[in-house]
Amino acid sequence: MLPSRVMQTQSSAAAAVRARRPRRDPITLVRVALSELSQRRQLIKYLVQADLKKKGSDTLLGNVWWVVDPLLQMMVYVVLVTVILQKTTPDYPLFIFSAILPWKWFTSSVGDAITAVSGQDKLIKQIKFPKIVLPTASTLAGIAGFAFGMIPLMGLLLLFYRDRLSPLLILIVPIAVVQLVFTMAFGYLVSATNVFYRDVANVSRHALRMWFYLSPGLYAASSLSKIAETHPTIMKLMELNPFFTLFESYRAVVYGGDTSGPFVPDFRPLLILLGASLLFLLVTTVMFKRAETSFAKVL
Amino acid sequence: MPKPNELTQVNYAIDVQGLGVKYNLRLTKKNTLRTSFQNMLKREGGDKQFWALREVNFRMVHGESLAVIGPNGAGKSTLLQVLAGIIDPSEGFIDVRGQISSLLQLGAGFDQELTGRDNIMLAGAFLGIDHKLMLELQQPIIDFADIGDFIDAPIKTYSSGMRARLGFSIATSVDPDVLLLDEVLATGDQVFREKSRQRVLEIAANAKAVVLVTHDMHWVTEFCNRAILLERGRVVVEGTPADVVDVHVENSMRSKVEREAELKAIAAKAAAAARAKGR
Repeated sequence: MLPSRVMQTQSSAAAAVRARRPRRDPITLVRVALSELSQRRQLIKYLVQADLKKKGSDTLLGNVWWVVDPLLQMMVYVVLVTVILQKTTPDYPLFIFSAILPWKWFTSSVGDAITAVSGQDKLIKQIKFPKIVLPTASTLAGIAGFAFGMIPLMGLLLLFYRDRLSPLLILIVPIAVVQLVFTMAFGYLVSATNVFYRDVANVSRHALRMWFYLSPGLYAASSLSKIAETHPTIMKLMELNPFFTLFESYRAVVYGGDTSGPFVPDFRPLLILLGASLLFLLVTTVMFKRAETSFAKVL
Repeated sequence: MPKPNELTQVNYAIDVQGLGVKYNLRLTKKNTLRTSFQNMLKREGGDKQFWALREVNFRMVHGESLAVIGPNGAGKSTLLQVLAGIIDPSEGFIDVRGQISSLLQLGAGFDQELTGRDNIMLAGAFLGIDHKLMLELQQPIIDFADIGDFIDAPIKTYSSGMRARLGFSIATSVDPDVLLLDEVLATGDQVFREKSRQRVLEIAANAKAVVLVTHDMHWVTEFCNRAILLERGRVVVEGTPADVVDVHVENSMRSKVEREAELKAIAAKAAAAARAKGR
């Protein structure tokens, strides 16, 4: 009875004929998502600009906070680890800073992605537009915070750790690209999930903290050698954590080893992570596109 | 029901056949993990569904302006959302020709922190309007909305009237082929009402289609040349605005009388219970 597939009309390009849509296959969904993103580049640009404007990047004070915030966080961890726990790692402030910057970037991007769709409920009910632009824009806007973090990093290196300053620092860029792909995929996942289950925001706060402690951020991966000897499977599981590879790579180019300076990170795990993240991105894109049709009804 | 390809030969602006929109209550209720686990365990709520619209049929040619009226919860806003493509139909078929402008509830989607000017550009980008065209339209939009210097202040400083004026101005300036408006005239002063009246008439006169949801019966009779009455998701009457408004007024009077009777019955029951308790 229902015309399940309606002939495309020839009269006008803007004509919209709709009936109940047949379920589309994943490849089509990915292709649709890609063309939506490229067609709506201007919208994504506006959304990124609006996001940055709201975060105060256009005010002097806003910028100052982006620089000061990671430094304060670094000091908290320095006090905790070197003063209270009495661990001695040479140049610990720089050691920890190399993990704080990417981690702050990740958590703020995830936080923004969680509300990217559900926070635009009014707009979604008013205008037809591809919703995938929302988490895409919020994740892209997150890059700015990380970029600003380079200022205090350079400051630290130039003022206190000049012997660890090296041209390898430029390798932060490809490592950050891998992190961006992973963050984007994760952003699609949480932004769509939070529409249906609002507890994502509550869960994420604690899950992210646990995630950080399980990643070699405050400590070096090599300090886990005891675990590696006694429980090799646990070590294998920990290495599956994307931030295991990411933190190790960032630390290699920013900090280096205990006694030696920065070195070129092992690219094999990074490339594997890039491949896995791209696959993850495809999966969450399909998931997002499938969920998208319900957004206007559920919100 | 005629086949879709037969329909396309006639130049309808909007063609709606056998339209139904189903809401799955399991999803739409604000869910937490706990409730959905409970539902899973109890195997309840799985099939709870609700038809917001059912068997809706109507067609519009260009140049018509259609009023959609009905009591609260009749499905008026859902109908606009389907026409705008925001919601997909659960059954039936719908064809809307041309560029759609659908700032349904004027200004509700503005970004509070951004200026009026930024919001104009952002709304244009959301509607999918070319950036260059939007730059040209910016000044006419600001002029029509009559916002003055506030245009460079954040939207959160606007009065609700200013917000609605800006929303209306954007929605109607982008030269849509099909204009969808929801509760346009809830706000706005006399001068703006007249201006917007002229604008809607102008759009309709330019052989564009206008669909308007309102509770203001004056608007229906003044602006629209057709009307449909929706009740519980179904079209009850379709016809000239005056006729449809008559039916609507009559129906709402009747339901008001019914509700009053119900109220009296409840009051009487409570009084009886109180008396019984007192004894």
